[in-house]
Amino acid sequence: MNNPSWTRYILILLVFALVAGSVGARMVSIQNIPAAQTILENSKKLVGVTQTIYPERGSIYDAQGRLLAGNETVYEVGLDLRSIAQPETIASVASSVLGLDYSSTLVYAKTEPIEDEKLYIVLDSFVDKEKIAQLELIEEDYTNRDIGKNETRPSLEGLIWTPYNKRSYPEGDMGANLLGFYAFLDRVEGRGYYGVEEAYNDLLAGTPKTEYTPFDPQKITSVDDIPPGASLVLTFDREIQAMVEQQLAEAIDWSGAESGTIVVYNPEDGSIIAMATTPRMDPNYYWTQGDVFPGSTPFNRPISETYEPGSVFKVITMASALDAGAVKPDTVFTDTGSIMVGGTTITNWNYGAWGDQDMTGCLQHSLNVCLSWIATQLGAEQFYTYLKNFGFDRNTGIDLGGESHWPLKLPGDNQWYEGDLATNSFGQGISVTPIQMAMAIGAVANEGRMMAPHIVKAIIMDGHQYDVNPVIVGNPIKAETAETLTRMLVDSLEEESSVALVEGYTVAGKTGTAEIPTPFGYTSGVTNTSFVGWGPAEDPKFLVYVWLEKPTISIWGSEVAAPVFSKVVQNLVVLMDIPPDPIRLQASTEDK
Amino acid sequence: MKTKNIIQAYRQAPWRMQLQWIGIFLLILVSIAAIAGVYLSLSGKAAVTGRRIQKLEYQVSALELQINDLASQLAYASSARVMSERAKALDMVQRDPAQAVYLEVPGYSAESFTLAPAPSANALPSPSILPEFTASLWDWLGDILAQLPGPAENTPEVQP
Repeated sequence: MNNPSWTRYILILLVFALVAGSVGARMVSIQNIPAAQTILENSKKLVGVTQTIYPERGSIYDAQGRLLAGNETVYEVGLDLRSIAQPETIASVASSVLGLDYSSTLVYAKTEPIEDEKLYIVLDSFVDKEKIAQLELIEEDYTNRDIGKNETRPSLEGLIWTPYNKRSYPEGDMGANLLGFYAFLDRVEGRGYYGVEEAYNDLLAGTPKTEYTPFDPQKITSVDDIPPGASLVLTFDREIQAMVEQQLAEAIDWSGAESGTIVVYNPEDGSIIAMATTPRMDPNYYWTQGDVFPGSTPFNRPISETYEPGSVFKVITMASALDAGAVKPDTVFTDTGSIMVGGTTITNWNYGAWGDQDMTGCLQHSLNVCLSWIATQLGAEQFYTYLKNFGFDRNTGIDLGGESHWPLKLPGDNQWYEGDLATNSFGQGISVTPIQMAMAIGAVANEGRMMAPHIVKAIIMDGHQYDVNPVIVGNPIKAETAETLTRMLVDSLEEESSVALVEGYTVAGKTGTAEIPTPFGYTSGVTNTSFVGWGPAEDPKFLVYVWLEKPTISIWGSEVAAPVFSKVVQNLVVLMDIPPDPIRLQASTEDK
Repeated sequence: MKTKNIIQAYRQAPWRMQLQWIGIFLLILVSIAAIAGVYLSLSGKAAVTGRRIQKLEYQVSALELQINDLASQLAYASSARVMSERAKALDMVQRDPAQAVYLEVPGYSAESFTLAPAPSANALPSPSILPEFTASLWDWLGDILAQLPGPAENTPEVQP
């Protein structure tokens, strides 16, 4: 140990130990000074950023894959306060290109940045591509411009534009009552309203994800993909929807009706082929909703507005009575022109007595007296049990936002009177929605099976298409009853030589004319005119429900709604590739 | 005494021993430097690749926006209203439904429209990176150890 080299070693060791100790002491000191917490917080911001990422909203397609609701690119233009070089230039360009106020933009551009509080200011949102292209051209011009020695190069440094998605509806107001709208102006809390946008909002929106993105490039691989929201394929066909909307517009124009509704429903699987109504708004401008739908005007009448349907309801009454065995098609009723039920006197639409009529005749001439008698034969308990089985006491459950129904008055309720049995039998004193009627009468067209109405055909999620299966919601009547009634309605239309008939096709159907109640009774003198029909009768591919509200050209459904049905079906069979009966039956025979 | 003398005869000179220690020290130093160099090189490459991945992710986002936008533009350009106006501009008239002619095409059946494959039938294998490219040294060692044969277990007799 007395060796001088050992002394030197020990000295060097002590020096190193002293330096290491000093560093350690300083480290402990720094970690315990008051500013240590602030330094720690600030250091976290330097290693990464936490942000919530909202997935792209799913698209909506028609049955043929045509885009009905998608996303288009718009831009947010803002100021990065830390890097603004020439506030005047920015204010000038923003004023000329974006139409912003020069003075206020200049004030924004001259704002001193405050760390953690004010580093970025949004100047404008939802800026379209054309304006951004102008900004890019100006920026390029500034970059490439020849500048003299004493001149300053103009610069847009600090003005930044960021792209993002905006909901767009390429078809405008076509099918808007089915689609609903997405309130895209609210980029964080925005959601879907009405239609499929509301009913499938959660699926379309996807799941937002809050994610930490490190600045360390070696950790970037930890960034997860944010899957987009699910896309929807609808059951309705754009071409058919456009045709039906055109027919409805022409019908309203011709008849002077206040509003109109046409539902085209597939009774075999419950899918909605088309659903047109008025008014409609362009969901690209959804903020006009208050102007387009003043007061209590519903967004989508077929599912939201209840009305007394009138004689189209006789289909339900007759179906119930035939199914229960209360009457048979050849049962004869002698119509004396009136009948009293529960103290209420019921008369026919023309106040006439129609004498002996079989059940087809009762439907053909739409005799209120006969149908009231049928309801009494059936009995109140059975009649209302059938109405419940047909789904008139509840929503249909269609996958559209905003469905409603009117509560069904039943025997024993305070507001039910015995006379209601008679009036309800021909569709007065009972309120229904067109979609309830389509679903219920669809059971008659579909061998007694009642299908849940639906608008979504398939959901596309995670790269796969999940088809929506049809759902049977009940069997309110037997298949034989459905077949018998369909035959009766075909015969009644043909014997009547109705304007609802379509050349080459066998259709079953029924007209409806309903007086509109006021607080003082049925005194308005205006009517709701309806028609329900389906075809081809022996193998139905469509059911069309027409409702025209308060037409001025005529008060009768047989004169107003029936021809509209015929026109719709004439075009529908072409668009649905349904050949006339002779060709179809011949092909069917050859196939067998 | 004889033995002691022999040991002393084989003892190396101090300067040789110092050289050996210096050599060993330098060897360790060079090894550490080499490992550090390799580490720096690899981490540098990883950083560059990471940055490239980040750029590609931005590009993917931008392309997704562009695809959505182009799909919307296409839908606007081929919307029912625009197509109808274009047809009218070309002096086309709407056909009379009564004039439709139906031809039976033997063997033809309209196929149902799909935008994506069904979940079970046509699921494509998702692109995957082999574990050799993602497993850490510890994962690899763990796998090796897991594959080693364990202690023999008493196999219960199997009754016929």
